[in-house]
Amino acid sequence: MSDTIRVAIAEDSAVLRDGLVQLLTDRGFVITDAVGAADVLEEAVARDCPDVAVIDIRMPPTFTDEGLRSAIGLRERYPKLGILLFSQYVETRYAAQLLARDAAGIGYLLKDRVADTSDFVEALVRVASGGTALDPEVVTQLVGASRKRESLAGLSARERQVLSLMAEGRSNAGIARALVISEGAVEKHVANIFTKLNLPVSQADHRRVLAVLRFLES
Amino acid sequence: MFVVPQSRLDQLQRMATTVARAPFTRRTWRELLFFVLAALLEAVGLAFIVPTMAAGTVLAVTFFGLAVFAASLRGARGIGGWHRGLARTLLDTDIEEPEPFVARPGFFGWLQSALRDRTSWRAVAYSLAKAPLVVFGVWFALSTWLATFTCLTYPIWGAHPPNGTVTGAGSPKEFGFVPQLFPPGYFSVGTNGFWHGLFIFVTGVLLFFVAPWTMRFVVVVDRGLMRALLSPDAVTTRMRTLEQARARTVDASAATLRRIERDLHDGTQAQLVALAMRLGQAKEKLAAGGEVDLDQVRGLVDDAHRGAKEAIVELRDLARGIHPPVLDVGLEGALSTLAARSAVPTDVTVTLQDRPTPAIEAIAYFCVAELLANVAQHSQASKASVSCVQHGAWLRIVVRDDGRGGAHAVLVGSSSSGLVGLAERVQAVDGHFDIVSPASGPSVVTVDLPLHA
Repeated sequence: MSDTIRVAIAEDSAVLRDGLVQLLTDRGFVITDAVGAADVLEEAVARDCPDVAVIDIRMPPTFTDEGLRSAIGLRERYPKLGILLFSQYVETRYAAQLLARDAAGIGYLLKDRVADTSDFVEALVRVASGGTALDPEVVTQLVGASRKRESLAGLSARERQVLSLMAEGRSNAGIARALVISEGAVEKHVANIFTKLNLPVSQADHRRVLAVLRFLES
Repeated sequence: MFVVPQSRLDQLQRMATTVARAPFTRRTWRELLFFVLAALLEAVGLAFIVPTMAAGTVLAVTFFGLAVFAASLRGARGIGGWHRGLARTLLDTDIEEPEPFVARPGFFGWLQSALRDRTSWRAVAYSLAKAPLVVFGVWFALSTWLATFTCLTYPIWGAHPPNGTVTGAGSPKEFGFVPQLFPPGYFSVGTNGFWHGLFIFVTGVLLFFVAPWTMRFVVVVDRGLMRALLSPDAVTTRMRTLEQARARTVDASAATLRRIERDLHDGTQAQLVALAMRLGQAKEKLAAGGEVDLDQVRGLVDDAHRGAKEAIVELRDLARGIHPPVLDVGLEGALSTLAARSAVPTDVTVTLQDRPTPAIEAIAYFCVAELLANVAQHSQASKASVSCVQHGAWLRIVVRDDGRGGAHAVLVGSSSSGLVGLAERVQAVDGHFDIVSPASGPSVVTVDLPLHA
C-alpha cells in the first residue's frame, strides 16, 4: 500500500534519524532525504519532491522552532506536500499555527508514538494522502484549553471523547473501534456534537477536523 | 646671609604665576557663571520644595498630603538633576547619575516608590544645605566680584555719581566680605580727585586677583556637597552591585537548567525514543505470525540493547554533570579522583582548613574537571598539577601543565563553551578566572573562589 510514498526526514538526532530511515524503509517507504537541519530540508524538498516530510520541530541552529517555521514555509510553496511534525513536547501554539490555514495533509505527533510502529506508519500514510493526524496529547491540550468555554460545556463526557478522537483525524469507524461502540452510535454522537456546536456536517474526515479545530481555536 | 632654597623659590614662583593668571582663566569665569546660575536654580528649587513640603506636612493626615509630598520629592529629584547638569557643563565635574526612578505599577505603587526614594530625599537635603551656602557665597565671593567691578570702573563713574545718590556718593558700595579686608572708611577716603580715583582703581586691581579664589572656595564646598548628596549613595550602590550579582547567578542557573534540558532532549530522550521504536518494530514482527525473519528481529533487539546501554551511560554522565556524587566526601577526595581519571599524570595538593560551601565545591570541581579535560585534549602535556589552597576566606585553585600552551586559543575556539561557561559561573560568585598560556607553554590557569558563596 505504501510502496509509492516518498518521504523526506529532517531530524537532528542521528540515532533517531537512522532509526526512522530503517523503520520506514522496512515498511516499504522510499526515503528521498534524511537530513539534520531545516535549511537543508528545504533544498532537499525542492530537489526531490517527496510526498510527505517528517520534520522535527527543534533543530539547529537555535533549537527552538526551526522545524515549524520551515514546515509553514514549505506548506506555502508546496501545498500538496504532506507534513508530519515530530516533537518531544506538545505545544498547542505550534499546533494552532500550523493548522490555522488548512488541516489537510498535516500531522503533529509526539516522538513517543514511533514506539507503536503500526500507528505511526498509519498516521504517516494518512498525512501523505491529505488526511490529518494529531497526537491525542495535542488534542487533549487543545480541548483542555477551551474546556472553560461555555459552548463545550454543553457536550456530554461521551461526546467530548468523540470530539477528541475526531480531532485526531479518525473516521467514524476508527472512533467506534476506539470506544468499543457501534458505528451507528458514533454517527449519532457526531451529529449531536455538530448540532450543539452549530457546525455544518461534512463527509470528509479532514474537514471535520478543520471544523473542530477552527472552533477550538476561535 | 639667609638663603631661600631653590625648591621653595620655585614653589613661590608657581604660586605667584597661578594667582596672576587666575582671573584670565576660563575656569574662573565659568565658576562665577555656575555660582550665579546655580543660585538662581536653588532659589527656584526652594520656592518649589519648601511650600510643597509644608503643604504636604499640613495635609499629611489626608491621603492628598502624601501625594503632594511625593510630588515634591519627585520635583526635588529633578532639580537635583539640573544641578548635576550645571556642574557637568560649567565645572567639568561629573557627578555620577543615580539610578533612574522606577515606580511600581499603579498609583499606590508610584506613591510608595516616590516616598521611599532615597535619591529624592537626598536631593531635598541638598537643596536645604545649599541655601546657607548660597547666602555665604553671595556675602563672601559674589560681593568680592561686585566690589572688584565697582572699583575697577570707579574712574569712569566716580566723578559723576549716579543721580539721586546723596550719602556716600562717589565711593564704592560697601557690603559683603570686602570691607572686612580694609579699615573702616577706607573706600570713602577723600571724595574726589585724581589720587582718590587711582587709589580705588588699584584696590580694584588687587581685588581682581583675590575674587577668583573666594569664588573657588565656595564652588569647592558646593562640589563636595553635590558629591555627598546628589550622587548615588553607598547603600544604593551596594544594592545595585548585589542586584547585578544576583541577576548573573539567576542567569547562570537558568543557563545550566537549559543545558541539562538540551542534553536530556538531544541525548537520552532521543536514545530512548529510538530504542522504543526498535522494540516496537521487533514486537510487531513477532506478533505478525507466519514466517518470522528471526535475523531481522535479532538485529532490531541488538540495536535496542546497544541503545539502552548507551542511554544508561549518557544518563550517568549527565547526572554526574549535575552533581558529582564524589563531591559528597569533600573536595580533596573529589579532586584526587579526577586526577586519577585524567589521561595526563597529575599531582594534586589540597590544603584546606575550612570546608567550602557545596556550591563553591561544585564550581571548583567542575573547573578542575574541565581544565584537566582540556589539558588531556589540547596541550600534549606529559604531566600536570592541581593545587587547591585556602588563603583566608578565599580558595585558590591553580592548574598547571607542561604542554604547548596557547590555551587562550582554545578558550575562544569552538571547544570553548565549557571554559566560558565556567568563567561565568566563577564570576557569578565574585570569583576570578585567569589563564596564562604563552604559545610555547606551559599553561597556568588560576581560579579564585570565595570559600562561602
